[in-house]
Amino acid sequence: MAELTYLEAISDGLRTEMRRDESVFCLGEDIGAFGGAFKVTAGFAEEFGAERVLDTPLAENAIVGAATGAAIEGMRPVCEMQFADFIACGFDQLVNVAAKLHYRQGQSVPLVVRLPSGGGFSGGPFHSQNPEAWFLQAPGLKVVAPATAADAKGLLASAIRDPNPVCFLEHKGLYRHVRDEVPEGEYTVPIGEARVAREGGELTVIAYGSAVPLALAAAEALEEDIEVIDLRTLCPLDDEAILASVRKTGKVLIAHEATGSCGVGAEVAALIGAEAFEDLDGPIRRLTAADVPIPFSPPLEQEVLPQLDDMKEACRELLAY
Amino acid sequence: MSSSPTEVKEATHTVEIAMPQMGISVAEGTIVEWRVRPGDRVEADQPVCDVSTDKVDVEIPAPVAGRLARIVAGPGETVEVGGVLAELEVGDGEPGRSRVYSPVVRRMAADNHIDLEQVEGHGIGGRVRKADLVAFLEEKKERPLHTESPYKPEAKPEPGPTVVDDLLGPTRREPMSPMRRQIARHMVESRRTAAHCTTVVEVDFGRLAARRGELRPRMADRGVNLTYLAFVAREVVAALERHPILNASIEGEEIVHHEDVNLGIAVALEDGLIVPVIRRAQRLSLEGMAAAIGDLAARAREKRLHPDEVQGGTFTITNPGQFGAVLATPIINPPQVAILDLEAVVKRPVVVERDGEDAIAIRPMSYLCMSWDHRALDGAEAARFLGELREGLEQGRCE
Repeated sequence: MAELTYLEAISDGLRTEMRRDESVFCLGEDIGAFGGAFKVTAGFAEEFGAERVLDTPLAENAIVGAATGAAIEGMRPVCEMQFADFIACGFDQLVNVAAKLHYRQGQSVPLVVRLPSGGGFSGGPFHSQNPEAWFLQAPGLKVVAPATAADAKGLLASAIRDPNPVCFLEHKGLYRHVRDEVPEGEYTVPIGEARVAREGGELTVIAYGSAVPLALAAAEALEEDIEVIDLRTLCPLDDEAILASVRKTGKVLIAHEATGSCGVGAEVAALIGAEAFEDLDGPIRRLTAADVPIPFSPPLEQEVLPQLDDMKEACRELLAY
Repeated sequence: MSSSPTEVKEATHTVEIAMPQMGISVAEGTIVEWRVRPGDRVEADQPVCDVSTDKVDVEIPAPVAGRLARIVAGPGETVEVGGVLAELEVGDGEPGRSRVYSPVVRRMAADNHIDLEQVEGHGIGGRVRKADLVAFLEEKKERPLHTESPYKPEAKPEPGPTVVDDLLGPTRREPMSPMRRQIARHMVESRRTAAHCTTVVEVDFGRLAARRGELRPRMADRGVNLTYLAFVAREVVAALERHPILNASIEGEEIVHHEDVNLGIAVALEDGLIVPVIRRAQRLSLEGMAAAIGDLAARAREKRLHPDEVQGGTFTITNPGQFGAVLATPIINPPQVAILDLEAVVKRPVVVERDGEDAIAIRPMSYLCMSWDHRALDGAEAARFLGELREGLEQGRCE
């Protein structure tokens, strides 16, 4: 076990998989000599050579399209978007080609798209988005969103080994702020399994990504009997883990940094409403970003994104209900 | 940040009791009387006053628990819908009691046969949370529920094993339920102390049946089921006002006269009998009486009566006729002095006088059987009372 940051764990996971399997390669903008916008692939070109660490033009559709072709030919490409926001340019290849090939032609497309997402650093409307819900409407894609360094490594490895296209959402705010024990060598975390991040009996906070450390901090600060479920995978959802916790506590807060309308929280709420209605002891609540683009202005951005105080208040209200 | 905040209804210091909207066309109501006085504690939903409108008479419930601070509108005063009737003082520690329950609370209450009115809520607005119910169930394990409320479903007595008796064959013993024991004690006590005597009159329900048919659809529209029992109850109240000795009770060697007619209506339950009381029945119209009977009977069967609703009766009506019985000698409900038994209304050939000639006609007939206590009154009084009752019912003018 080594203590790694979330960012180091992603590098470690990617490097480990590239060493393990020669068909794994990465491609993206400035990922070779420059080592990527966030230095995830720093040193990769030296170790694996330019052929396995491909610098591409500024053309996301070309990146995803080339990766899809390579995957069809038996490779396991890992695409890096400089910012998750830019996947909009590669959307067609991802949702209309990669996601549908298995359905149309029985063709497996084992590709990973790494999506550095999230705000909180005054990045403005084009560099701060949490676009996970876009992909949940595209059957054929899997979507993962780790909250810890260990899960970042383990889920990336599982994403690479998975026969389907996987969107890997890595929250930029966690890159250097989250640091935990990460198993050395080959390590996987199964896709589709949520994690109980904190056990409790009075209230369930269902979160993923940056909302997980926020929920844990709120639970610690309030010293209340709060359970925190880290979803880890957004598609397919771990229905059993969600329902088991709700059946225990009867009260639910769903928290994420992405906007609320038609988001992951809406889907989880619908699941709970349908399958655990008789176990509810209060309204299903959501804590999300406001339905607006992310502002540059730091005070405005703070207002838009869920903060620790918001999380504490939402927990207090439900506990009192 | 976006979240859906809770509307927290914090109890304020003063809460007004307002004249409610009682129907689309009702614009005002007149206070008949106040049931509580300034300074009295009231529970949420407890009726605090009676209001009469041109359409119906209603009870006004307290919106929250608190102390009655001030009566704004006294008896006889007419107040518009929305107008203030009184003010309640609500301490900060006494939030209003929410009667809305979450799915899990309702399910757990049903599974455990818990009356949620008994559970103290500590959620927002006095809401009963799952945690409150869990705590209540824990406490109940040590203390059986029926000590608090005898009107809740109680655990069925453990049936004993079936044994084969030489003469009786297979038999089984089980202890009496608390309700059976209570009925047994009360009835034996009545037989031991009261000088029972039963008088019977025969009543022609012909006109009343027509009157009932006339009034029934309109009342049904308003959610009231007009029964023969309601007519009888209404006429009993009228007759009791002329024969107050029958609206009395015996305490030792004293006869206690009651100004109010608190009319007990016996309701058969699956496992016993309960007699909820319509308080001040003299203030009720026919429709009010029918509604009160319907409400009490329904709540008695749902086991939602308040303990004080089964006490303080001054006269009792029992109605085995609904099951087809035609004659009975009921046992007086002490300390009351009389009980009236309404039997089935059945078509019988009777002799009627038409244009000075006797003829045989088919009429809906019934017997009214009244058991009365010879210690308090004599046969002539009982017969006069029953005679007037018959006359009132046969005229069928009851409104």
